[in-house]
Amino acid sequence: MINPVRDRRGVKRRRLAGGFAGCVAGCVAAFAATVAGQPPVGAPVSFLACPIARDTGPDTDVCFLAEHEGRLYALGNPPDFGAPQLKHRVLVEGRIADAAAACGALPLVGRVSVMAEIDQACDVILPFDGVIKGAAGGVFNSGSAEQRAAAQELARRVALDPRLSVEPAILDPAPAPLPTPPFEPRTLVIWYPFDSDRGPGPDMVKLRELAIYAREAKARGVEISGYRAVSRLSDGTQLVERAFMAEARARKIAAILEGIGVGPRLLKVRWERDAIGGTGDEDWKNRKVEVTVRP
Amino acid sequence: MRTRWYAVSGGVSQRCGRGLSFTIGMMMALSLGNAAAGADVTYAGDDAWWKPGDERIMPGRAEYADATGRIAVVNADGAVPTKGHAFFARVGANGRACVTCHQPADGMGLSVDTIRRRWAESGGKDPLFAAIDGSNCPSLPQADRASHSLILERGLIRVYLPWPPRANGGAGMQPEFTIEVVRDPTGCNTDPIYGLHSEAPSISVYRRPRPVANMKYLLELPHGVPPSEFLFYNDKSLLPRNPQTGAFVSLQLMSDGRDLTLELQARDAAASHLQAHAALTAAQVAQIEAFEKQVYAAQAFDAAAKDLDSEGAPPGLGPEALQHGAPARLGNNPINRIFGSFSMWQTGSELPPAEESAERRTQRELRESVARGADIFYLRRFLISDVGKYNDKGLGNPFKRSCGSGCHNTLLMGMDLAPGFMDLGLNNLPWANSRPDLPVFKVTCDAAAAPQSYLGRVIYTHDPGRALITGKCADVGASMTQQSRGLAARAPYFMNGSAANLRELVDFYDRRFNIGYTETEKHDLVNFLSVL
Repeated sequence: MINPVRDRRGVKRRRLAGGFAGCVAGCVAAFAATVAGQPPVGAPVSFLACPIARDTGPDTDVCFLAEHEGRLYALGNPPDFGAPQLKHRVLVEGRIADAAAACGALPLVGRVSVMAEIDQACDVILPFDGVIKGAAGGVFNSGSAEQRAAAQELARRVALDPRLSVEPAILDPAPAPLPTPPFEPRTLVIWYPFDSDRGPGPDMVKLRELAIYAREAKARGVEISGYRAVSRLSDGTQLVERAFMAEARARKIAAILEGIGVGPRLLKVRWERDAIGGTGDEDWKNRKVEVTVRP
Repeated sequence: MRTRWYAVSGGVSQRCGRGLSFTIGMMMALSLGNAAAGADVTYAGDDAWWKPGDERIMPGRAEYADATGRIAVVNADGAVPTKGHAFFARVGANGRACVTCHQPADGMGLSVDTIRRRWAESGGKDPLFAAIDGSNCPSLPQADRASHSLILERGLIRVYLPWPPRANGGAGMQPEFTIEVVRDPTGCNTDPIYGLHSEAPSISVYRRPRPVANMKYLLELPHGVPPSEFLFYNDKSLLPRNPQTGAFVSLQLMSDGRDLTLELQARDAAASHLQAHAALTAAQVAQIEAFEKQVYAAQAFDAAAKDLDSEGAPPGLGPEALQHGAPARLGNNPINRIFGSFSMWQTGSELPPAEESAERRTQRELRESVARGADIFYLRRFLISDVGKYNDKGLGNPFKRSCGSGCHNTLLMGMDLAPGFMDLGLNNLPWANSRPDLPVFKVTCDAAAAPQSYLGRVIYTHDPGRALITGKCADVGASMTQQSRGLAARAPYFMNGSAANLRELVDFYDRRFNIGYTETEKHDLVNFLSVL
């Protein structure tokens, strides 16, 4: 179904055989087969595969999917967990979602991890088929309600006076109110991509809030526990994270907390040497750092 | 000979030649008085080259002719007497000053046209061509023009960095890779005194000076990229800190991020580029820093489009827009569109064709072209792929964005606010333009190191970039995006001068990302970039 072609620089790219028409026919057939024999909602899947990028229109983002055992799965992630990358395989760990198809494929809830090593075979881009249309991303669509309201008001004014178009449309969010008593122990769990110590941006915002909580609560201690894990694939293969990953995650979070004002003497940093075993169902939840503030 | 301009507040301007020295002299006398008093009078003096040690007054606002019109340089704090001023004084052994490579007439950068003119006017004796870094290598015969080919052809200064890298200039670190010299056209990387295997091993790379203007946009920590006011967007590690104050720093200052603050950059530059025997004094550093923080530069006049900063012009143009703008904000939204609205130039002719003068038509057509270019810059999406330290920072590969909504997202400035070290393909093969004049290094990364995401663990590069500072394999070839203002005054472009002009810059992107711009679109983009 897939043939390599070369782009204008002679760099190998792979497109679906038969070009646009072949792509449409192939994709529709594959997805029809997927729907006909799809596993039940909630069924776990865990596999390694090349991601496939799909162009969803001239003004929208690409989306990603992957093929596994004859089915196409949509590859989505929470914000900033890391979008799939061509030239790299992905570890897909999720459950079939009770939701509409996404990216022309079965929707999943779970996590997708980009594997670190290069795989040149992962280089397929599906052209826009005129049917599967995407959404435009960008910061203007993702701010808080207050930020979007302020931007809409500015847009109205800019329409009348273009000079205002150089005033920042994206305003800083209002500072969150400081936490108040009673102060109870509070825990943040940060989940990680496979073999990575890159915490997602939204979790880093929560980490900062936790640092403020620790300060306001005059915490007696902040416990940081790092873990690494095994991912059991649907075919029984086990992927084990590198030995130092639990330590790397814990130390990095400790360094960030210390860097943003948590006293080093408060920090109690530990990590599990052994990888947590996998079951093939939501193994990504074992790749984590737990941060607990104890007032 | 450079054409010189003077202009009096109110928009009256005339082109003058050197034969009008008396008139110019009179104008200068008037202007100096006014400029010293901080009045709104603009002029360019009878010599566009600011020589180290010159005792002049840099006015509150001055305009200088450039490739497509005039660039304006504004001193927000008023006119600057250069006598004894540390930015303008010869503080080193080689006769240079900071201003040598940061010329007002070049938007506080340095164009290759200016460099060639200095060579011709000085017979190659100007301190700009000092052996240490104004030649391809100090060991070459300095009287030979060919020994200065990189600065004369591409505007490149030799930057020599220790190997292995030293953390913040201190102790050496264990890098994640080894480095070999594969090709050495300048001879410097294999030189017994200056090379990789010398007593003081160093790596010579060749880079363009960055403009010293609009600095508040580079120094302020980013807004709206949570939580990047203290973290790298890329890997969510902490940003480095100002060693004096402990505050986090933006890292936007230098292409490789090696000097974290203006003070550190000034001290480093004095010791290396200026060959100062003694460290700058605290007073000198303070004077340099204060000057750099208040100077703004942007194109102010285009030969065809005319005034860029007058009433009714696009609001993001001209240096005053930068002076009064909010720094370190995301502009990649439908309101800001990075450089603000150009809608006022999309209007078409208000006159019947027969009544429109040729000059008026040329002006209108250029303005419409600029407005179309702004749309392309902001709206035309393409697949950004295989950019190390960019596609792999969570965005995905490919990532579909336009120039403005992707990497050049900072309001009014057009650099990446994230901050974004990235391997666009300027330094690393196979994407780099053919550059037989530059060295080629082979980088071999440790098996345990995280690879460069799209090139792996064996990389051929003209300049390892950020990796020469961090020692990390994934950083090989990566550099910090830079501001997009005052471009018409400071060709060539990119950190290694690969684009001789803005058309070549557009062509690089078109080739690199298979965008498929039409000739008209390229033309519009060039016109747009020319007025920034």
